[in-house]
Amino acid sequence: MEELSGWGDDFFWGSVVVAQVFIVSLFLMVLFGLIGAGAKLSKNRIANNIAAAYTVIFRGVPEILVLLLLYFGAAIALTNIVQIFDPNIKFLDIPPFWVGSFGIALVVGAYATETFRGAFLGVDPGQIEAARALGISSFKTFIYIQIPEMWRLALPAFGNHMLSLIKDTALISIIGLNETLFVAEQATATTGKPFTMFIVVGLIYLSFSTIITLTVMGLEKYANKHLEHGR
Amino acid sequence: MIVDFSLIIDSIPKMLTGLSLTLQLLFVSAFLGTILAIILLLMRISGRWYLQWPAVVYIYIFRGTPILVQIFIIYHGLPQFEFIRTSIFWPILREPYGCAILALSLNTGAYVSEILRGGILGVPRGLHEAGSALGLSVRQRFIYITTPIAVRLAIPAYSNDIVSLMKATALASTITLLDMMGIARTIVADTFAPYEVFISLAVIYMILTLIIQKSFGWFERYMSRYLKKEA
Repeated sequence: MEELSGWGDDFFWGSVVVAQVFIVSLFLMVLFGLIGAGAKLSKNRIANNIAAAYTVIFRGVPEILVLLLLYFGAAIALTNIVQIFDPNIKFLDIPPFWVGSFGIALVVGAYATETFRGAFLGVDPGQIEAARALGISSFKTFIYIQIPEMWRLALPAFGNHMLSLIKDTALISIIGLNETLFVAEQATATTGKPFTMFIVVGLIYLSFSTIITLTVMGLEKYANKHLEHGR
Repeated sequence: MIVDFSLIIDSIPKMLTGLSLTLQLLFVSAFLGTILAIILLLMRISGRWYLQWPAVVYIYIFRGTPILVQIFIIYHGLPQFEFIRTSIFWPILREPYGCAILALSLNTGAYVSEILRGGILGVPRGLHEAGSALGLSVRQRFIYITTPIAVRLAIPAYSNDIVSLMKATALASTITLLDMMGIARTIVADTFAPYEVFISLAVIYMILTLIIQKSFGWFERYMSRYLKKEA
């Protein structure tokens, strides 16, 4: 284990990057999922079709392909735009952090779309009718009744989506983000101990997964609190 | 921005030469993974702690870490040890092909085992009781009652897992294998035309996903054919 000395801080900062990517992509994933579910449930046929295409595409294409396409595609597009203003620029480097977070959020958001859609359908329509009868506006019904009730139903699958997100952060090292896997590759190049380094990465991810699993378990307990008397 | 159609027409046959490798990775690891999953499942439902615990820990580890990290541990990590380089497994572990198959099988085994367990838990209790009332032994009940129903219940989740596995085979390109993804990456490195190449590849992967989903959909209808009489 002595070969790990000197790399502890690199792995620590790598883990911080993983956590940052996770938080940014979690936010985006919920956003994409809610927009997608809204579009799928709306009566607008164009919105239905766009949402259907979104879920089919991003659930059928490997994550690594999405990331590479976004990364190189965005780099070329931005370079073309910048060259209009300054023809001397040959290639524009774009931050893998944002492209990566956006990419994995798009992929997992496609799965979340289906989860949220199912959960919204699972909310008893009587609840919405009751809210209407009480004169609650449809916006307030959505915020105070549909979201809290849907959330409980979506939680188990949503926990799995969070686990997918945290595991997909490892893929962002392929487009050059200096997270833990990237650190391990550098450490291997210097120390020649690949097994030790990659096992450390595995343990870091295992701890992240454990934290997420325990959090979701706690949230599920909290969300189902009102149902426990019935048992 | 101009789309280079001749490049698309050139690159699709090149990428399709990698299709056989992608399918090999998919079928071989799906087969080995399913066998592993059945062994893990039998260990979990055996009711003996010294069989249950290793299976639980195995599933926890392989589901809690990214598949990319697992591939790197096996491909880059294991050769760190002298005893592995002199063992009989070295001819397999020396090749990226063997490592990719091993990593994908070990990974998918953990997921499929959970899926099958879900199927078994979904078998109604009453059927067990009916089986024992008819004088079937525990083993007969497992083979003739639990297994067929559990398999049918597990098909939708299993088909999703096979799609995930297909997407994960693209990661074999990170350990120098020239599957469709690997070939696409070399073409992009030569031509630097990510849009044309990667989008064509995305379409190929989507067609594969569609074929997998349709086949399992057919299989599920075939397995549930006895249910239609009631409706």
